[in-house]
Amino acid sequence: MRSSEDALVLLLAGGVGSRLNLLVETRAKPAVTFGGIYRIIDFSLSNVMNSGLTRVGVLTQYKPLSLMSHISTGEAWDFTGRSRGVKILPPRTGFKDSDWYKGTADAVRRNIDFVAANESEEVIILSGDHIYHMDFDAMLAFHRAKKADVTVGMMVVPMDQIHQFGAGITNDDGRIVDWEEKPEVPKTNLASMGIYVFNRRYLLATLARSRDEIDFGMHILPWAIDNDNVFAYPFYGYWRDVGTIQAYWEANMDLLSRDGMISPQKWQIRTNVEAAGRQADRPAAHYSGTAEVRNSLISAGCVIKGTVLNSVLSPGVVVETGAVVKDSILFRDCVVEKNARLDLMISDKLTRFGENSVVGTGDHHDIANRLYPKHLYTGITLVGEFARIPPDIRIGRNCIVKCKAVAEDFTSAFLQDGESLS
Amino acid sequence: MLRPTTLAMILAGGRADELNVLTYYRPKAAVPYGGFVRVIDFALSNLMNSGIEQIAILSQYRSYSLINHIGTGAAWDMIGRYRGVSILPPFIDSEQQDWYRGSADAVHKNLDFVQYHNPEEVLILSGDHIYRMDYREVIAYHHEKNADLTVVCKRVARKRASRFGMAHIDDEDGSRGGRVVTYQEKCENPEGEWSSLTVLCFKPDILYQVLAENQDDDSYEFGHDIIPRLMAQGRRIYGYKFDGYWGYTRTIGEYWNANMDLLGDEPQVDLERWGIRTNLDHRGIRDYQPALIGKQAEVSNSLIYNGCTVEGTVRNSILFPGVCVGAGSVIENSVVFFSNTIGENCRFDKVISDVNTVYEDNVEVGLEPGDVQSVISVVGWNNRVPAGTRLGQGITVSPRLRRDRWVPIVEAGRVLR
Repeated sequence: MRSSEDALVLLLAGGVGSRLNLLVETRAKPAVTFGGIYRIIDFSLSNVMNSGLTRVGVLTQYKPLSLMSHISTGEAWDFTGRSRGVKILPPRTGFKDSDWYKGTADAVRRNIDFVAANESEEVIILSGDHIYHMDFDAMLAFHRAKKADVTVGMMVVPMDQIHQFGAGITNDDGRIVDWEEKPEVPKTNLASMGIYVFNRRYLLATLARSRDEIDFGMHILPWAIDNDNVFAYPFYGYWRDVGTIQAYWEANMDLLSRDGMISPQKWQIRTNVEAAGRQADRPAAHYSGTAEVRNSLISAGCVIKGTVLNSVLSPGVVVETGAVVKDSILFRDCVVEKNARLDLMISDKLTRFGENSVVGTGDHHDIANRLYPKHLYTGITLVGEFARIPPDIRIGRNCIVKCKAVAEDFTSAFLQDGESLS
Repeated sequence: MLRPTTLAMILAGGRADELNVLTYYRPKAAVPYGGFVRVIDFALSNLMNSGIEQIAILSQYRSYSLINHIGTGAAWDMIGRYRGVSILPPFIDSEQQDWYRGSADAVHKNLDFVQYHNPEEVLILSGDHIYRMDYREVIAYHHEKNADLTVVCKRVARKRASRFGMAHIDDEDGSRGGRVVTYQEKCENPEGEWSSLTVLCFKPDILYQVLAENQDDDSYEFGHDIIPRLMAQGRRIYGYKFDGYWGYTRTIGEYWNANMDLLGDEPQVDLERWGIRTNLDHRGIRDYQPALIGKQAEVSNSLIYNGCTVEGTVRNSILFPGVCVGAGSVIENSVVFFSNTIGENCRFDKVISDVNTVYEDNVEVGLEPGDVQSVISVVGWNNRVPAGTRLGQGITVSPRLRRDRWVPIVEAGRVLR
């Protein structure tokens, strides 16, 4: 049984997530496929459902169509019913407001009428782009026990990663006494997960104070720490920001680990299998007599005649005879034709790899992508949705093949390491 | 066309004795098939794909599994202003006190329902076959011929004919169909070579009349009573010739064969291409993660649905959602229903294992030969097979067998109750 009354949940799903490069060309980051049949936002939505919370507002902005069709009525997460619901909150123009969201706090402020209209003691603010399993009910109980104005979900991360996060220093009671946003020289390794519980009245008063305070981490929290009761709720489980290609790839590979680092089934993660048609509503995967599959996650609807090693396949992927897919992530309905070889790559949906094509070849994993050296630098090659890789083409490491690429776009038989077809 | 003109009625009342433990607790129409669907999904999906969305299901035996499976009908797009699926269980009222006494009696007892819909044709289907058919073609032929009844038939070898209703069809429309000249139900040497597939399209008034007349008889079956009665009256009965795949699921052998027809590089049954839908809420199968195929696993010529974890070897087999195969185990030529857990170093050959059964380590099923009628072993649901148990070919295990009934070695062909 749930111990606390229902809090209102705001899910921030508006960010561009540009470091995911091609994968966010036509969709918002929370709508990016993860683990074969899931979308990144499923983890937040399912955590909300499994915590017994029933009212959610999803703040969208960037390319929301895919996200909206995925969330649909919210039925997949049990958000349909008399008093339950998930509302999509798109940006809107108004008497004074005509800009896009300037930051996390700004986005919530522009939807303050939604917060005001939904009676609740607390408001939980989450971001829609993390892979994790967390009980918000326990966090709410902590928030109440501490009589906090704000509680921030925090976890220990390696010292060399803390510069990506808000960092907090706590006293023995768990109170946050000092805060640094994305510190170059960190004083602590306790990172903010971007998960906040606010007393609703406190949130309304805080956001009414100044329109210049546009970001929770940069503006709202430092002020609150100096003046009010802000506590850190310690989290110890799996949590991962999959905002970079490397982190996204690693988190997918964590699904394959035997120690169950990520286990969507155990975590009771739910997804909308019927979004936009029947993306995940397929017959059982078909393995032919020549199939060889090891250490992989295979979704329903796949047809495997070749070899699949250490890979994650979404529904409807076809791997023809003699083809080899290794250390890769393929979105739905990709076709890998005969004797094609894919190695250390991520392909968006509905691509086709021609016979004998090779994607991800050679030992130059360290030649970063020339156009996006901060996106691709560990050897992962990216292929955009609907791309058609012609037969016999070879593509190196850290390459990018644009969405909808066709044979004519390839000017030579080898796309060098770090090059992009765009 | 806003209002649907066709009313379809699916006969899903019975169990099949020959399916044994698989139908102890479910009607045969609700038997799982092909890695995630139920047998009745073929009739329902064919109806959906034929644009027929006004449907009644006649159900009597252990209806719950079926009611649960149909849900709102949304899985087959059967909810809407003029679309719907109704389950019609047997009932008592001031006149009726009986169970459904047969398929024709079941429809007769629900004539109020049929007449309320005022259909232009009534399509009677059986819910226990594996096939793909566009019923619109049957209905078009039915109207073109101004038939009183159109019977869909498939050619079968005469030596197998004694199990079916057999029609002799003339060549009026060549390979498309013709007038039914003779019809004989389950006889040794029938004149015709076309077996009825229990897909019947009736002119409503004729149906109402013949069902009423049949009430004075002592048997109430479409094949055994209704068709012969209409033949004797000299009605316009046409045979529509069907030559696609037709899978029977009335015996364990047929059922196993129909499952094996899903395998191979050119499977005879292709669920994706046929557009077969199921209710993904039933047993929560939509909530399973993709299958996890382990580092030592070997999978070939098999179907594996989401939610399976495979550490051993799976060949020529079908695994339903939530099946775990432990390291060192070898599963061959088998059909393993939902949520079975198979421990380490087990061996299966030609096994059908019903839902929720746990095999502890080193269990063998179907390997030890013997003088048996059928080599296919069937294990009923919710069993726990003790470690090291050896079950021979063609054995049968009742559902929920008591722990103390298990013995270490079960000879081929034996039945454990």
